[in-house]
Formats: sequence, structure tokens, C-alpha cells
Amino acid sequence: MSLLTVSNLTKRYPRGGKSIAAVDDVSFHIDPGETLALAGPSGSGKSTIARLVLRLIEPDAGRIEFEDNDFLALSGASLRARRARLQTVFQDPLAAFNPRATVARVLDDPLRIHGIASRSERPRRIAALLERVGLAAELASRAIHEISGGQRQRVAIARAIATKPSLIVLDEAVSALDVSVRGQILHLLLDLQRQERIAYLFISHDLGVVRAVAHRVILLDAGRIAESGDARAVIDAPRSAIGKALLAAAPRLHRTRP
Amino acid sequence: MTVLASIRDLTVTYRRDGTEVAALKNISLDIAAGERLAIIGESGSGKSTLALAIAGLLPAPSRIDVWIEWPGLGRVPLGGRDIGFVFQDPSASLDPVMPIGQQIAEVARTHLGLTWPQAYAKAKNLLERVRLPDPDSALLAFPHQLSGGQKQRVAIAAAIAAGPKLLIADEATSALDTIVQAEIVTLIRRLVAEDGMTLLFISHDIALAAELAERIAVFRHGQLVELGATARIVDAPAQPYTRALLDAHIGLDAEPLLNRSGLAT
Repeated sequence: MSLLTVSNLTKRYPRGGKSIAAVDDVSFHIDPGETLALAGPSGSGKSTIARLVLRLIEPDAGRIEFEDNDFLALSGASLRARRARLQTVFQDPLAAFNPRATVARVLDDPLRIHGIASRSERPRRIAALLERVGLAAELASRAIHEISGGQRQRVAIARAIATKPSLIVLDEAVSALDVSVRGQILHLLLDLQRQERIAYLFISHDLGVVRAVAHRVILLDAGRIAESGDARAVIDAPRSAIGKALLAAAPRLHRTRP
Repeated sequence: MTVLASIRDLTVTYRRDGTEVAALKNISLDIAAGERLAIIGESGSGKSTLALAIAGLLPAPSRIDVWIEWPGLGRVPLGGRDIGFVFQDPSASLDPVMPIGQQIAEVARTHLGLTWPQAYAKAKNLLERVRLPDPDSALLAFPHQLSGGQKQRVAIAAAIAAGPKLLIADEATSALDTIVQAEIVTLIRRLVAEDGMTLLFISHDIALAAELAERIAVFRHGQLVELGATARIVDAPAQPYTRALLDAHIGLDAEPLLNRSGLAT
């Protein structure tokens, strides 16, 4: 049984008096513990799909089933409860968090809101979460704006896993990181996936990274699925025009002695 | 080799929370006239500070101990005329309420002493050179009517309007998607060749820099780690940090990080 099943999803926006489909009849599924990547140029609809799946915006048509629930029919308390299982990490955690909040506060919120741990239990839970993402417990008292970009993204991941999700939407989550930090964060994500069986909807414009971390990939063009399949097979030999264009445009390092 | 700019013992210090932080420490570097030189590094490496220092655009509270000579220019450079600067975010560098034709023409009028009609003719020619579709109506367009890639083309047209000797592109393609990035890199390469400009290409992406530049300078923590011909830097880096940057690049031929046998079924 699929974890997430998206059927015939469509989202239109008015533009210049006309209605443009940002997402046009898109269907896909994600299995437990699987990474599905969405790749495509700007405006191809990948972030709109992420926002629809997270129910930050509502679709014009289509169905989303998540953990055997009609996800679009949920509201109020039942939606909040289900949302604990569906988390997200954005590109820029400095923009996603209150920069003056402490790390402890950022991690305390989901534990409190979703009733996961009592007040007295939370400091211990927070320390465990920090350790799980490779951060020292002492970091809890620091402000979000004081720590490095890589540390912030680890805090964002700790916050995402605090509610024991089955699916995390990663929207360009490693794109703004320095290359030396990016590899560490990718390893952390894969490690969490192996141990907790978390599925990822991995949104990225970087085909090299997608090929390295995703099981399957969907290539999007102008809101529609241009091509999909095994990530390595699709990226090594794309058949769609957009796949070929993305591959041709990717910068390459020609190292004769790696 | 004619040296366009000779930088000796450049040190830049920012004042932050009452303490002084050195953003660049004792940088010595020659930029050859007509070369394409890439400055690469991670955040905090000082690469953008170097670009701003060369262009004379550093913010006032910074302290600069700098010795830059311009033998290839023969005068103290004037920003906009002798040095064109393309920033990462064209939405921030273009005036949102001024037609783009006027923004480009203004540069030509200020630095080349053209009349407005002459400057507009020059602006139209520049929009053709940066391959903006329908230059006549584009002259009257506002930045918000253009895509990100088109805005960056306009910013490049404005940067080269006065015929600068040096073009500085500071992460000029980082906010663009891969396909548009490749188009802008191709455009920069063509314009630099056509006008005989020197290019300083600032980037965090060593693969992108290697595709465009003839020489690469690697920066870290405000210091110049290594400088050399692109092929030498990529194939035989002398410094461990350069090798680490190269190894961290996840290319299309990289060994997958994913252990497929670990996938739950």
C-alpha cells in the first residue's frame, strides 16, 4: 500500500486575464521509506506540488491520499493530527524560523503542540533530537540566528522528525548549503530514512544530487509530468526534451584524475 | 601578458558588534587583461568582499588596507564606466519603477556623454546583444514583467553599457535554474569575447567556474588558498581544501549515496 497517492492534481492561477495551470493533471505515489524526487526548471510546478501536498494551498482538482486517508477532506483537529506525520524542511531555515528563538524553543513547539511529551519530559526529548541530528545538547540554548547554516538545517530536520513523520517534504533543502556541509546533511537524511523508514518528497533542481539520493524521479515541465522512472536510469539517459535540456545544462567537472 | 589590475596585500576588516573581523587577509593577486578568472569559495570565504573591494563598492564602516594598481587601465577606475558589476539578484539591482530601456540608457548617457536618443539607440542594441526577445517593446517594459533570466540579461546589458574593461559577475547565475544558468553563462562568455573584456566570475560552484574560467582562485576564511590554470586546479590541486571542494561536488557520474538494498518494500 502506498504511503502517499496523488491523483490528477491540478492547480490553476490567473495570469494576464487567462488561467494558467501551474500543476496540470499530475499523478504519482510514494511508498514507505522511499525517496521520490521532483526535478524541473523554474515554473515547472515542483514547489506548487509540495505546497499542495502540505495543504498550504488547495488544489482545483484531484485527490491526495495519505496513510489511507482522504487528505483533502480532513480539517480542524483531524488535519492537525495527520499533519504530525507529514513534515517539511525548507531551503532557508533562517526564513522559516523566528531568528531570535532559541533552538530549544524551535524544538519544543512540535512536542508541545502535538502533545508528544509533557513539559518535564521535553528537555530530555530535545537533547535526544539534537543528538539524533548530530548536534551537541548545549546548542539548545543558542539563538537560531547565532548558529551556522548547516547547524540550522540540522535543527530544521530535528524539528521535522520530532513528531515521528512517515513523510518529509524536502523543498530544495540542501540547495543553499555550502558543498562541504551539503554532503553531511544528505548522509544524515539517508541515515534517518534507513532507521526510521521515512519517505522523502525531494524537490531539487540539481540532477547530480537527485541521482545520488533518490530512488525514483519525476521530471516536470510546465506543470506536467514529462518523464518518470528509476532516478539513475532517467538521469543517465533522459527521453523527454526537458530531461535532455536539464542534463545538457548541468555543469560538469572534467577530472582526469579523481 | 598585460596586467589589468595588480592587488597587493589587500586586507579588509569589518566592524561587527564592536569587534573587528578580517574578511580578507593579505591577498595578492594579478588579474591579466582579457582573462576569465573565477574566484570560488564557500560562505565566509571573502569572495564577494574581494569583488566589492576591486569595484570600490565596500560599505563605509569597513577598513581597507589596499593596494590595487591598474596598469592595464592607466587610471583609477570608475564604477559603471570601467567596471561593470552583475549581482546575484537582478530584482534587487534593477529599479522596479523605471522602464528597463531608461535604466540601460542612463548608464550610456552618464558615462559615454550620449544624448538621450543616442543612449536609447544604444540600449536597444544592447538588448539585442543580450538576446532579449522583441527589444523595441522590451525598452518600455518594467522589471516585474520579465522572468528571472530575462532580468539578469537586462542587468548584464546595463553592466556593459559603458564598455567596461572589467566585468564582475558575483554569483550572477546562482538564483537561476540550471537551464537558464547555462544560457547566462554562454551569454557572458560571448559578450566578454566580443568586447575584449576581462571577466571576474565569483561563484560557490567549482564545476560551473571550471566550465567558464581559464584560471581559478580558491578562497577560504578570507585567504587565498590556491591559484592556477583551471585544468591544473581541477586535475592536480595542490591544497587539501581544493581537493575537498572537488570531492564534495556531486556530479552526474557520482557514486550514489543511496544504499538501494536498504529500501523498505
